[in-house]
Amino acid sequence: MTERTGVFPATGDTAFVETLAPFRVPRSAYIHVPFCRHRCGYCDFTLVAGRDDLIERYLSAMERELATLQTPRSVDTLFLGGGTPTHLAPAQLERFLELLRTWFDLARDAEFSVEANPRDLLESDRVNVLARLGVNRISLGVQSFDDTVLKRLERDHQADEVERVVEHLSRLIPNVALDLIFGVPGQTLESWRATLERAIALRPAHVSTYGLTFEKGTTFWTRRSKGELSPAPEDLEYEMYALAMDRLPAAGYGHYELSNFARPGRDCRHNETYWAGRPCFAFGPGAARYIAGVREIGHRSTTSWLAKVEAGESPVGYREELTAEDRAREALIVGLRRTRGVSRDEFARDHGFNLDELGRSAWDRLCQRGLIEATEGGYRLTRAGRFLADTVTVEFVGTT
Amino acid sequence: MDPRFIRNFSIVAHIDHGKSTLADQLLLQTGTITQREFRDQILDDLDVERERGITVKARAVAINYEQDGQVYELNLVDTPGHVDFHYEVSRSLAACEGALLLVDAFQGVQAQTVANAYAAIESDLVIIPCINKIDLPVVRTAEVLDEMNSVLGIRPEEVLMVSGKSGIGITDVFRAIVERIPAPSGDSTAPLKAMIFDGKYDNYRGVVTYVRMREGRLRKGMKIALMRKGTSHEVLEVGQFRPNMAPCDELGPGQVGYFIAGIKELGGVHVGDTVTEANRPASDPFPGYKQPQQMVFCGMYPIEKTDFEKLRDELSKMSLNDASFTFVPETSDALGFGFRCGFLGMLHMEIIQQRLEKEANIDLIQTAPNVTYELLMMDGEIQKIDNPQDVPNTGGIKEFREPIVKVNFILPVDGIGPIMQLCADRRGIYKSTEYLGTTRAQLVYELPLAEVIYDMHDRLKSITRGYGTFDYEIIGFRPADLVKVDILVKGVRVDALASIMHRDNAERRGRGLCKRLKEEISKHQFEIPIQAAIGTRIIARETIAALRKNVTAKCYGGDITRKRKLWAKQREGKKRLKQFGEVEIPQKAFLSVLDVSDDM
Repeated sequence: MTERTGVFPATGDTAFVETLAPFRVPRSAYIHVPFCRHRCGYCDFTLVAGRDDLIERYLSAMERELATLQTPRSVDTLFLGGGTPTHLAPAQLERFLELLRTWFDLARDAEFSVEANPRDLLESDRVNVLARLGVNRISLGVQSFDDTVLKRLERDHQADEVERVVEHLSRLIPNVALDLIFGVPGQTLESWRATLERAIALRPAHVSTYGLTFEKGTTFWTRRSKGELSPAPEDLEYEMYALAMDRLPAAGYGHYELSNFARPGRDCRHNETYWAGRPCFAFGPGAARYIAGVREIGHRSTTSWLAKVEAGESPVGYREELTAEDRAREALIVGLRRTRGVSRDEFARDHGFNLDELGRSAWDRLCQRGLIEATEGGYRLTRAGRFLADTVTVEFVGTT
Repeated sequence: MDPRFIRNFSIVAHIDHGKSTLADQLLLQTGTITQREFRDQILDDLDVERERGITVKARAVAINYEQDGQVYELNLVDTPGHVDFHYEVSRSLAACEGALLLVDAFQGVQAQTVANAYAAIESDLVIIPCINKIDLPVVRTAEVLDEMNSVLGIRPEEVLMVSGKSGIGITDVFRAIVERIPAPSGDSTAPLKAMIFDGKYDNYRGVVTYVRMREGRLRKGMKIALMRKGTSHEVLEVGQFRPNMAPCDELGPGQVGYFIAGIKELGGVHVGDTVTEANRPASDPFPGYKQPQQMVFCGMYPIEKTDFEKLRDELSKMSLNDASFTFVPETSDALGFGFRCGFLGMLHMEIIQQRLEKEANIDLIQTAPNVTYELLMMDGEIQKIDNPQDVPNTGGIKEFREPIVKVNFILPVDGIGPIMQLCADRRGIYKSTEYLGTTRAQLVYELPLAEVIYDMHDRLKSITRGYGTFDYEIIGFRPADLVKVDILVKGVRVDALASIMHRDNAERRGRGLCKRLKEEISKHQFEIPIQAAIGTRIIARETIAALRKNVTAKCYGGDITRKRKLWAKQREGKKRLKQFGEVEIPQKAFLSVLDVSDDM
């Protein structure tokens, strides 16, 4: 990654997309809402807990940051993540969504997703706001249907509440995705099996299954190093992942990405943007914008981000310019996360590199080890490879 | 220069007793260097020395000192202080008539104090004993005087009280040098006779040879001969170190300096050799030195095969400046093409290895060090073994011999019990105990060198809370019941992990080794058995379970950068792995042979 000057716009400026070739202009936008009631022990996302006093400042700051677009943009996907976007009060949520709609023209069949905490949708007020402003996909942070596991994860809802929420979402926003976590300390294979069954019984459009990761800086991390929390044994995690991989497809959910399963036609189009290495707008603290090979991430501290925007300065906290090869390698790595794998022709067209040359001997080596298989036009992970995806990834990453 | 006004001396001390600081103070007070030029330890010009605070290569500095209206030329010949460099110490001492013996006012007499003092006495030098660091907040001067008296027979009234750091007592030091050390003698009209005591290689000028003049004169333009091989050269420059190279017209009897004569390789200059005039040779050359013995060996292999030639060049460069280091090409099934390198001892090995990594920028795999062994074969032939994998697997060995050292420990008395226990565990033979005053003692053992080099230093330091020291000298080879222990990783014998050990320890150490390797080798897609074997008999086994799940759960827009850096780091780590069959073994694993402590 070399720093270049002159060719690229000033940090934080997004209006320059005017100058890009049409196919390089983002058709997706990510908005980060950094508010939560409290921080769960495993979570290391960009967020502030118990700082609702900052919400109004955040909304004004977003108004300013979005104005850098200069003109409304047409997008195919719009995604509100967090934090907890539904933590905003109904009136705030309404104003915010209206603001977003003024800057983003949703294409006719656009996907407009919002991440939600089940408890926030128990009442219908927020659901009505979301539906009225065009949100057509809800990603619910369910995590588990086992109350002991929910408690261990420090979630504020109970399993029963999820069923009620899904029930009343079904009329207004039927396209619901459930996020689940496995490999939680103390979680048994049976508990996980029951969670999967209850998820399937709700007939959601989409299910994500995430193996719990201990991230530096979280209380889970600290408690693990003190020996207070013991991570699930690797063999159990394997069994849990394997169970999801068997059970969900049997119930009609295609395993289209390492952690994601969906009914036909219900793959998350927004997230496909990342795995295809396509450009994306992004706004808010900790949000990662990727345009013309430049990645800019907003300050991860919400207060710093606010101060910057309010001072009329760029709120970008990290910026990297990737070389063509870096971009291609990255696209290859994230591309392999998809079950369809990577295709030679598409890869050459979108990233300008020959897949076989980029991977060199790694392809053969990984095929021999049974982790990769050749497809008609390219390569993909085998079932065994999905369990060891990082082992595969490391073979392709550059050594910068 | 009239020899009556020349004094040649060195400073000897245990490590960290303040030798370099005192040397700097002497240079500073005589204006040989200015305060502005002053850096800590000016005599140590290798980076590694400065970093580790130890002197490796001898240097010589000429100091002009005025006393009672007379200018004296004091030549300070620096010596290394560590046990590995005995050899360099003795050759530096041969260039002197006297030595300052420094003893730390708190630490007192230590193992290398004794070793260095004896070396000076054996070289017939006048010793000026000094207690250094007398301005430390805590000193035990009276006891230290006692120790010096009981171990070295030094009378308290001879001892100077100094502080190299603050300059206390430095005038007394200068007076003692002038008054106690005899002036050199020598006939300036006799044929040239000078002794080579060191040399260094300069990229532009070839070999710079350090000499101590005995008789005659050495001038620019002279035709000289090196008596050992009879080669002759024309002198291009003569000079002294002040402290940088300063050319002068000539060197006369008693002086210390250097000459450059267009000699291209350090191998062409032998320390201890006699320099004389080509047309008028001296009648009797100096007896010369015996070559140093490399006792510790290890393999060095480039990680990238293509770096092999580069490594050879770097090793050659290194050996130009250090004749006591050897290297020969060798091949390992496991590691490919590399070099077997021989060192005087462990510190010597570490220094060379650090310099290689610093200066050469080659990624290396280094195998665990081993001592050199002798095999007496059935047919009477004696084989020298520098590498465990060279031990024949078939019979035919009549006797397996290992090097034995005499170890001299100096330690607080409450450490005697534990150290005796340690030495017993290490197959030591007790020789003697001598009390130095009431709190400290000198303990002498004979131990196999192999048991000393690995962790004796660390164990001694931990047992004595840092107050014990030791020194050793090689006394010969002795037969022992030794075996070669092989390591098999997933059924593949990894030659670079083989080690030689005593049969009685083989099972315990074999087990420890397998455990260590289990920690070092990361999980693979399959199960990996690790076995230790003597011949075909398996003596220990551990199993590394298969890697089952290794997946980054979330990889969305905001995660990619961070994950990519993480993966890149893992990728970087893989560069130091070596492939054996299907198994990747990290570099560190090859050193784990070392870390198998007794309690494993």
